[in-house]
Amino acid sequence: MRNKIYLGLFCLILCFLAGGLYIVSSIDEVTDQLETIITLHKVEFLRENLLNKVVVVQADLLLKDTPHARKIDTFVSHVEEMHQAASHCNSCHHEELVLQRILHVDNMVDVYLKKLSRVYTLRANEARLKQEKQNTFDLGQAVLEEVNSIVITSSHKTAQRILRARENIQKTKRFLYGLMVIGPLLIIVIAFFYFRNFARSVATLTKATRKIKEGEFSYRIKKQLKDEFRELAMAFNEMAISLKAQQHKLQQSERLAAVGELAAGLAHEVKNPLAGIKISIEVLKNELPLEQEDKEIFLKIINEINRIESLLKNMLNYARPSKPQPELINIHEILDGIIKISEFSLKNPKDLSQVTKDIHFEKDFGADMPQIFADPGQLQQVFLNIILNAIDAIKEQGTISIKTTKTPDDTMQILISDTGKGVDPETIKMIFNPFFTTKSKGTGLGLAICKRLIDQHRGTISVSSNPGGGAIFLITLPGKQESQEQEQ
Amino acid sequence: MALFLLLPFVNNCSDEQPSEIPLTYDSSSQKKFYLGLIPEQDLFSQKARYTPLARYISENAGVNVEIKMLSRYGNIIENFIAGHLDAAFFGSFTGALAIKTIGVEPIARPLWLDDTSTYYGMIFVRKDSGIKAAADMKGKRFAFVDKATTAGWLLPLNYFHELGIEDYPSWFGETYFTGTHEDTILDVLNGKADIGAAKNTVLYRLAAKDGRLLDELQILAESPAVPANSLAVRKDLDPALKIKLRNLLLEMDRTEEGKEILREFGAKKFIETTEKDYDPVFVYADKVKLDLKKYNYWND
Repeated sequence: MRNKIYLGLFCLILCFLAGGLYIVSSIDEVTDQLETIITLHKVEFLRENLLNKVVVVQADLLLKDTPHARKIDTFVSHVEEMHQAASHCNSCHHEELVLQRILHVDNMVDVYLKKLSRVYTLRANEARLKQEKQNTFDLGQAVLEEVNSIVITSSHKTAQRILRARENIQKTKRFLYGLMVIGPLLIIVIAFFYFRNFARSVATLTKATRKIKEGEFSYRIKKQLKDEFRELAMAFNEMAISLKAQQHKLQQSERLAAVGELAAGLAHEVKNPLAGIKISIEVLKNELPLEQEDKEIFLKIINEINRIESLLKNMLNYARPSKPQPELINIHEILDGIIKISEFSLKNPKDLSQVTKDIHFEKDFGADMPQIFADPGQLQQVFLNIILNAIDAIKEQGTISIKTTKTPDDTMQILISDTGKGVDPETIKMIFNPFFTTKSKGTGLGLAICKRLIDQHRGTISVSSNPGGGAIFLITLPGKQESQEQEQ
Repeated sequence: MALFLLLPFVNNCSDEQPSEIPLTYDSSSQKKFYLGLIPEQDLFSQKARYTPLARYISENAGVNVEIKMLSRYGNIIENFIAGHLDAAFFGSFTGALAIKTIGVEPIARPLWLDDTSTYYGMIFVRKDSGIKAAADMKGKRFAFVDKATTAGWLLPLNYFHELGIEDYPSWFGETYFTGTHEDTILDVLNGKADIGAAKNTVLYRLAAKDGRLLDELQILAESPAVPANSLAVRKDLDPALKIKLRNLLLEMDRTEEGKEILREFGAKKFIETTEKDYDPVFVYADKVKLDLKKYNYWND
């Protein structure tokens, strides 16, 4: 469309330019032709004028020595006018042939002038006077005939040239009239097609937009639009697909939220009876005279009840996370505490599988790390969860490194890496999803809760594979927490 | 027949045209100053030659000069008497006549490019005519200029007297007056006349354009030098204007415009001229026994 508009504009400019140039050249041509016609008329007039002047002088000559004779001044005036008329003729012509004839006339006029003067000054016998007068008159007649001949010849040529010039003017006039009619019509037709195409495309898109607005996400623009409108229609269709997918996800989320709420409520309701059952079982186990085998059964029941309690607690934590209670904390102190708990846990394991593990903790805490506003309990929960996962990932021997740094924009970065079995790319994509776990006895809620807690602190958490083996968790926390800003 | 055919047209034209030749300058609103010119050469060339000078006088002397061409030398005296002319460029003989008869006052004349301010008359024939003595002239055609010229009349009269020709009309086959020096020269050159008399300045001016003149003409006699055509004013002209005109002409060579006009005119400058400069003419007239005061200058 854009290219077509450019092309259309270019064509219009070209048309206007060509039209303008043609009009200018036509005006020039017509002006030239008019000037030619004027010149030709002028030439015609000058020739006729010369003819008349010669006739006047000839008449003066004939009237000489009669009672009607002109005064000498009048005669001189007439001759001068004739001479001037001849000079004008001479200055007008450019065609070689005509010029030669005019020059010939000019020479004849010069001789005629001498003879005329002679007739007026000569005092001689009658025969000589008569002869001189006759010679002069004959020369005058010859001038007349020559001028007349040129007038007749050139009148014919002049008429033809005037006719040609008029025809050219008419032709130019017709062309200009045609241009005046066809030009605007052409512009209207082109503009009509442009606007029709434009309006149709806009109408199609408007209709599609309204369909989407009405919730008809399955509506697609099937009509083949042109140019940029085609791209717009494709983008629109993609948008509709995306909207439909998002709507589906939203519906799923809503359903999940509803289920989660239901589950949380159920867990809350189940938690108290379960506590009663657990206490009752423990009372029975302790007070009843049971065989060792039976006691182990009771113990197994209590363990399973503990697992159910842990699951319910995690579910409640995820579904109804507690609001952070931020305070000014030193992140290094929290991390030190976690490392100590972890080391203690490794030395005094509940699970016998962790007895043989030889795990070394490495600290690389950045200097001058500022205190931040955060909920220490929630951050402890996050760090502990990640470190316990790291311990789980290390089979026998390994290292867990904890590094803190500060970015120029005061963001705090906590990097926890291990030398465990690592995480594959598919796991990385889903590792923070609730109920996703790679452990046989895991609930799949630990990292999901971690992510939710970090999100509440307006931080980020991400995981990647360690090139040397193991996983790397990167947690960022803003230097200024919301509560801190509010306090300030 | 042709005359009657042309007559209505001529009348129409003459109604539309002024009866005289107006030389209109910027000073047209000023008083007209009529300047007479004798036909030293053909009427139209003579007028064309003096027109720039007339314009210069108009623009610088505060008068509106209008040239009046005269078909005869003698007419200049008539026009002065009738009060039609305020000034004129007189030939030497007409000047002398006008001084004696109507008291015109000469004021300036040109100094030619060859540093002369005079001219002389010449009697000439074609070289191939074989005319050398009076006997050779018997029955031939003689072309004078005008009975009011030194070169074209006084000189031949004196020449005839020296040759012993007492009755020239009967001696020559035909005598006539061409009216201009130029025509006299050209008539002899072209064989229309056998002998002619005219002034040297015109002959040499024509010879500059037509080499045949010097090659084909033979000079038989020359007159004494007489003053070149001089500007003379009527005796009752405003003295202040008279002085103004004289000063204007005498100082003309001091301006660029004046120099250019003088160059076109064929002169270096104008020099002061008085009645005394005409003495050679008076002497020459006496020699041919002409009483200028009573002289009838009308051509036969």
